Parts: sequence; structure tokens; C-alpha cells
Amino acid sequence: MAIQTETLKAILRDYHGFVLSDEEFERIRPELDSYMREVEKLQELDLSQVLSSRLLRAQEGGPA
Amino acid sequence: MANTELLTMTIAELAPKIRARQVSPVELTEAALAQAERLQPTLQSFITLLHESARQQAREQEAALMRGEYRGPLHGIPIGIKDNIATAGIRTTVGSKVLANHVPQEDAEVVRRCKAAGAIIVGKENLEEFAAGATSTNPHYGAVHNPWALDRIPGGSSGGSGANVAACVTFASLGTDLGGSVRLPGTFCGVVGLKQTFGRVSQRGLMVTSFNGDHIGPLTRSVHDSALMLQAIAGYDPLDPSTVPVPVPDYTAALGQALRGLKLGFPTNHYFEVLDPEVEAAVRQAISALQGLGMDLREVALPTMQYIGAVRIAGMADSLVTHEPFLAEHRQEYGPDVLYRTLAGQFVLGRDYSKALKVQRLIKEEHARVLQDVDVLVTPTAPIAAPPIGAATFTLGGTEHRVRGPGSATISRNTSPSNATGLPAITVPCGFTAAGLPIGLQLIGRPFEEALLFQIAHAYEAVSPSKGRRPPLALAAS
Repeated sequence: MAIQTETLKAILRDYHGFVLSDEEFERIRPELDSYMREVEKLQELDLSQVLSSRLLRAQEGGPA
Repeated sequence: MANTELLTMTIAELAPKIRARQVSPVELTEAALAQAERLQPTLQSFITLLHESARQQAREQEAALMRGEYRGPLHGIPIGIKDNIATAGIRTTVGSKVLANHVPQEDAEVVRRCKAAGAIIVGKENLEEFAAGATSTNPHYGAVHNPWALDRIPGGSSGGSGANVAACVTFASLGTDLGGSVRLPGTFCGVVGLKQTFGRVSQRGLMVTSFNGDHIGPLTRSVHDSALMLQAIAGYDPLDPSTVPVPVPDYTAALGQALRGLKLGFPTNHYFEVLDPEVEAAVRQAISALQGLGMDLREVALPTMQYIGAVRIAGMADSLVTHEPFLAEHRQEYGPDVLYRTLAGQFVLGRDYSKALKVQRLIKEEHARVLQDVDVLVTPTAPIAAPPIGAATFTLGGTEHRVRGPGSATISRNTSPSNATGLPAITVPCGFTAAGLPIGLQLIGRPFEEALLFQIAHAYEAVSPSKGRRPPLALAAS
């Protein structure tokens, strides 16, 4: 899955982003490709029941 | 005492000599400054050397000793501070051109604590631009070189800190770790690097950082010294709500205690999947050594780790928000690696940011469950030894991976999970490649159980093939 450069340009225009030249779009492309790969992986994952909050545990008053 | 002999000692070895006035803080600081002057043209490990203020601090610490005011094991010890940690009245560039002339008004809390403990700050150390990468090849302040092989990177982003500790310039340095930036220089430079539990050490004064998972941690030449440094900087900071008000134990108390019966968790997925064969061999040898010391090895599965890459999505968005004001005014002053990694963050959807945080929670839960059954996890710190300076990619198992800039995450694949979980992790040297490059072993523990990590790492250190090794460059006459 890849997002078209024209779509990205429209996002920048409509959301007041930092404008990128065509050459600069090529420079960021590896990072975007990595992002999209991860997003695709998450399609299969049900995250609806995930709880919030930090999970660190410490023994109160005990050896920290 | 000759300079070389002084400079190659550890803090734990020096402290009693300073206390007994056999070694003077002034003498020690002059030796460190001379070593820094000698090696700076080669290593480019500092952005700012602090000759005069270091000498002044040394004189003050010496005078305190003469008055009988001993401040503890860091008294009179020369240390370095990564240049993204605020120092009052001393420019703090974050490795950037954007902040080249920035002079903070206040010390970071960790700097305040180190000074209060009697440490002497000899310089602000070079790093990756904005601490955003693993090479420390800085486009504005020069590439930091690895003391073990000058054509290699020292790792990053705390590369100057790792290089200085390995080259016997500083006795310890404070780095910062958002994805492995203390532990990667630790492994690549053959020193000990600690990322303690999130919330154990104040982040106040850490500049241009992330909203999620940054830590200030020490690089040292021994596990004992790592414990001494953590002792000085750990603790609740009422002005940093991310710190946790739990007691700070004596981190050296368990050093030397036997490991028999402790359970060592060997992850059957993720951490050993993308790995250079020489690194794997050294780490497996280290695991055998830990078993030889009495630890009970158990395999553990961490299936949720297949989604760990998603956590980086949150990092992309965080980074963009952190840099937004600088990008608006100073975009042309950025180097290309950081600029284009950062600009990609403006395309992250809120939906995906939220998913990334939920994945992070799942990974935390899974680690918490696994660490009910074992005492620590053992992994390679990095999948490879230090790559050459300027290398764009490296190949493992026929796949090409980026070293720097957009799309680069493989080098930190074993370190960044502990930033997501907040769990404490330490790297300790465990040998060398055939080319003489250091390799590191990572131990990951339960929250606030740094003392156990120190106990295990300290026992391993005594039998490690890296024991007592220093880069030849550090030992040349100074």
C-alpha cells in the first residue's frame, strides 16, 4: 500500500503542512513506506479492548 | 601516579583514593582534560570543552576534601554531559545548528545532582543532530569516531559520550536514550550503558525530546560505576511529574551476590531474528557463561513483538510536533537525515497514533507477564557491530537495512522495545568480532529492579572476554 504523492500534496495544502518538493517527497518516502507497512500489519489486530494507563509496578515503601 | 594509570581506572577504584587524598581532583581533572585535548582531533567527541570551569570545579572539590567534606564516590570525578542536556550558562546545542548559540539558564536536574555529588563536568559531548539517529555522524559538529576503529561509528545518538568513556577521556558520561541512544554507543564502544526504568530519573532539562519514552542514563566503564552513577541521579523530582516517588535503594548492595536460582529469559522471537552471526555467537557464549554462574535459562515467547514497529508511528508524530517551531523558522539549518525523517511525521493519522499507543500497551502487558516467570530477559544489544562511518546501508540475511535517516530502524530493533515498555535495560560488553569491534549483551529487567540488573551484569562482567580491555588509542602516552 502506498499513498499517492498527489494525495500527500493535498494534505499539506489543506492542513497547512510543511511544503515539500517532488525531490523531497522522494527523500521522505522510505519513512512513509515503513509507516504504511506497519499500518497494514495492524489491520488484523483488534485493539478495541486495550486498556489505558502506564503499567509500571513498584513496591510501595519496599525495595524500589 | 602516571596519567595513563589514572585515566584507565574506574570510579569505584578511584573513589577511595580520592577520599584518602592519594589522588587529587585537580590532578585527575588535568589528566582528563589533557586526554580530551589529545583525542578531540581524532574522535570529535566534544562540542564544547570546559577547561576553565572544570578546573574551577576541581579546585572547589579539592578544597572541600581538605575541609573533610567528602561528597561520595563521584567526588572529584571528571564526567561528560551529552549536549542535549541543559547546563546553566554553558551553550547546549542539541547537536544542531538551530540551537548553536543556545545557553540555558538552569542546569538539568541530573546535572544538578551530579554537581552536588562532587562530579566535575569536563565538556558537552557530540551527538547525532537533535539526538535523532544512531550514527553520531553530525553534519554540523563532525562525525564522532569509534575509539576501537576510527573508520566506524560509535553508535548514537550519545556517540560522543560512548567514545569518551571508552577512550578513557571521561570516567562516566550522561547520555540520553529514546530508542537505544545510550545502549547503542555502549555496545559499539565496548562500555556499559544503562537505560533505567522510566520514571526513575528526572528528564527535566532534556532538550528537544519526545513526549513518549526518553530517558537520561549513564555510560560507564564498569557495571559498578553504572550503579554509582544511577545512585547519584535517581530519585523523585517534584518538578518532573514523570518521576515516580519510590525509594531509591543502594544499587551496589547486591554486587557480588551469587546468581544461583535466578531465571534468565531467552526470547524465542524478535530479538534473535535479525542478527549478524558473530554477534549471535558472542551473545550465546555469554548466555552459557550466565548459566555457568548458576542462572536457570528458560525460553519465553513475546508474540506481540511482531507489532513493535507500530510504536514508531507515535514517534514520527511526536517528533514532528517537537520540531514544528524550529522547522517553521530554521528548516534550512537542518541536516537531511533528521529533516526528512521528521517531515514524514506530518502524514501520520490520529487513528494510527492511537493504535500505536495501544500496541505499546499490549507490549508492556506482555513483557510484564513474561517477567513474572523469569527475572530478566537476555538479548543482543544491537543486531550488528559498529558499521563504517558514512555507510548508508548494511546487509543481514540477504536483506538491506538503512543505517541512518528515513526508514532506518533496524539498528535499534532490540533496544527500542524497552523505551516502549519503560523497563530497565543495561548493555554490558561480551566480546569482539574478528575485526576487533565490541559486541554487547542486553539484560532487561522488571520496573525499578535496576539493582538486580547490576547484580547479574556485574557477575557476567567478571567472566566476559571483554574484561579489562581498552582501545589502544586510549592507552597511548598522554
